[in-house]
Amino acid sequence: MARVYNWQIGREMSYWYPDSRPRRQFAAVFDINKCIACQTCTLACKTTWTSGKGQESMLWNNVETKPYGFYPLAWDVKLLDQLGGQAWQDGRYEGRTLFEAAPAGERVLGWRPEEQDYAYPNVGEDDCSAPVDGGAHFQGMHEAWFFYLARICNHCTYPACLSSCPRGSIYKRPEDGIVLLDQGRCRGYQECVKACPYKKVFYNPMTGTSEKCIACFPKMEQEIQPQCFVNCIGKIRLAGWLSTPDKASPDNPLDYLVHIRKVALPLFPQFGLEPNVYYIPPVHVPLPYLRQLFGPGADEAVRIYREAPGDPDLSGLMALFGCTESLIPRWRRDGKEVVGLSADRREVIRVPAREPVRVLPAYDRNLGVYRTNIP
Amino acid sequence: MKPVLTVAAGIVLLAACSGPPPPPATEVRAAVVDRLPDSHGDTAWSGAPVMDVQMLPQDLVEPRLLAPSVSRVQVQALHDGARLAFRLRWEDTGAEDHPGPARFPDACAVQLPRVAAADVPAPQMGEPGRPVDIVYWRASWQASADGRPDTIEALMPGAVVDHYPFAAPSLEEGSEIQRRFADRYAPARALGNVMEGPREQPVQDLVAEGPGTLRPAASQSATGRGARTAAGWEVVLARPLPASLGPGGRTQVALAVWEGGRDEVGSRKMRSGWVPLVVEEAP
Repeated sequence: MARVYNWQIGREMSYWYPDSRPRRQFAAVFDINKCIACQTCTLACKTTWTSGKGQESMLWNNVETKPYGFYPLAWDVKLLDQLGGQAWQDGRYEGRTLFEAAPAGERVLGWRPEEQDYAYPNVGEDDCSAPVDGGAHFQGMHEAWFFYLARICNHCTYPACLSSCPRGSIYKRPEDGIVLLDQGRCRGYQECVKACPYKKVFYNPMTGTSEKCIACFPKMEQEIQPQCFVNCIGKIRLAGWLSTPDKASPDNPLDYLVHIRKVALPLFPQFGLEPNVYYIPPVHVPLPYLRQLFGPGADEAVRIYREAPGDPDLSGLMALFGCTESLIPRWRRDGKEVVGLSADRREVIRVPAREPVRVLPAYDRNLGVYRTNIP
Repeated sequence: MKPVLTVAAGIVLLAACSGPPPPPATEVRAAVVDRLPDSHGDTAWSGAPVMDVQMLPQDLVEPRLLAPSVSRVQVQALHDGARLAFRLRWEDTGAEDHPGPARFPDACAVQLPRVAAADVPAPQMGEPGRPVDIVYWRASWQASADGRPDTIEALMPGAVVDHYPFAAPSLEEGSEIQRRFADRYAPARALGNVMEGPREQPVQDLVAEGPGTLRPAASQSATGRGARTAAGWEVVLARPLPASLGPGGRTQVALAVWEGGRDEVGSRKMRSGWVPLVVEEAP
């Protein structure tokens, strides 16, 4: 075991291999508040990459309802239960990561889903956190809640899949940090399936190898965002390159959201993998739940997001989500417009920083009807 | 009490008739035959001495096997001057020949040092620059060789499939263009890394130079066949005699067995140390 620095948990930790950060790191921000679980991302990925024999129940991208949706079944709660209660102290994780909690004979703490665990990809869809009894209605606070969590491979800085493979069949590309599984070398041991806490490596019984999200690297190599990003009708996703905190640049959209405004957070940072998909947490969900999912930054991220409408830079940058197929590694606000730029600062896309908004009264006086279907 | 006493008396009588057990073999002796048997039940095997090989859990490198499973393997060997065959027999009550999520087929392997010499490399899959040659058999490959169809329904009887894009009516069934289309969604197969799927031989020639270095051999020359018995598996593995190992020669052999029902796969296996192997000369 080597010692590496994981900025998401604010300390050094044990890892199977020494630190070797890529020249640049593929990363993404997903705004959960905008996801409607239409699964267009899921289908875009499925039709592109996993329509083959043995991939029938394989979803490199999935969207699940939280708190009761899981794919595969109970992927997160089962591991949280195994890991046990852990603690953060002033932004530093004092508990054990999955590498530090590995039992004797193992490289990572993990578990391996069985066939049945993949059989219900949309279990828990739209299930609320609490019963909604007759007569319940919205009174300004959500008594029961749920939200949609869109998930792909996190292309982690310290991937558990990579560290668990005894054959070294998984590698992290130095040019973009994308984590790939060598289909010519894999022998189907499923150690990676067991080790990945996000359960984003899948065993294919027809090829006898394990397979995973490739971040659409053939598109990324042409500076085009992956399929699940460009097909998202809710425009919740933005792909790009993320710096380490000490090198954060405000004109890099991902650096701005993750490091400077701290409005986007990693999923289960306590696992210790330094995942590179960042989520803007859902603002209507109780903070204890968000802290468990996204770490101690959840309170501040919710506050900042709630204030975004009065913040022309933050709301302006969010207007760039889903506006172009191209990667926009740089950005700037130009008055009431916001501009996405290429790496050499060429203008790629220009959109209004704030879309015009018209509020229609619930009652249409001209037609004498209510515009909503709520009596 | 009476029936129990009768059975016990019978056992004593049988033991008395069979005479003292032969001393345990301390080496594997490959007897000479005119023609190597290709099945586990061939009578030729009755002429080959049996060695009981003690197995140990692989607990040297992570991920390790901490709970021992198959404790002994009975091994025999025969040769015809050109090829060398082994028969491995071990007890395993739960046959597992299906690949799947968290499912692992039973398997076994025979390992020889590349060079037959007194100084052999480490038994744990050799050392850098000092390779070992391995013949590996897998129960799911045997099922495929025995005719199990290459369909998801054959592996998962409850599976329901609505459509594969390469199964469109416009593509001729079994055509080259259809195969190439299907390969787009099966990169391992496209690369020739057929870890599951159609195969004629249930074995693979492999080379290793230490743990984690296993790779397919440059060419495939091993053959094999495994079959279930009431108690477990009987597997015949055959390969060319190593170039440095002629009749009368000596080398070492090591074995490995994986009990799939106990999640044994890869480095999680029962393995032996080196066992002496003698290639007998023709009488």
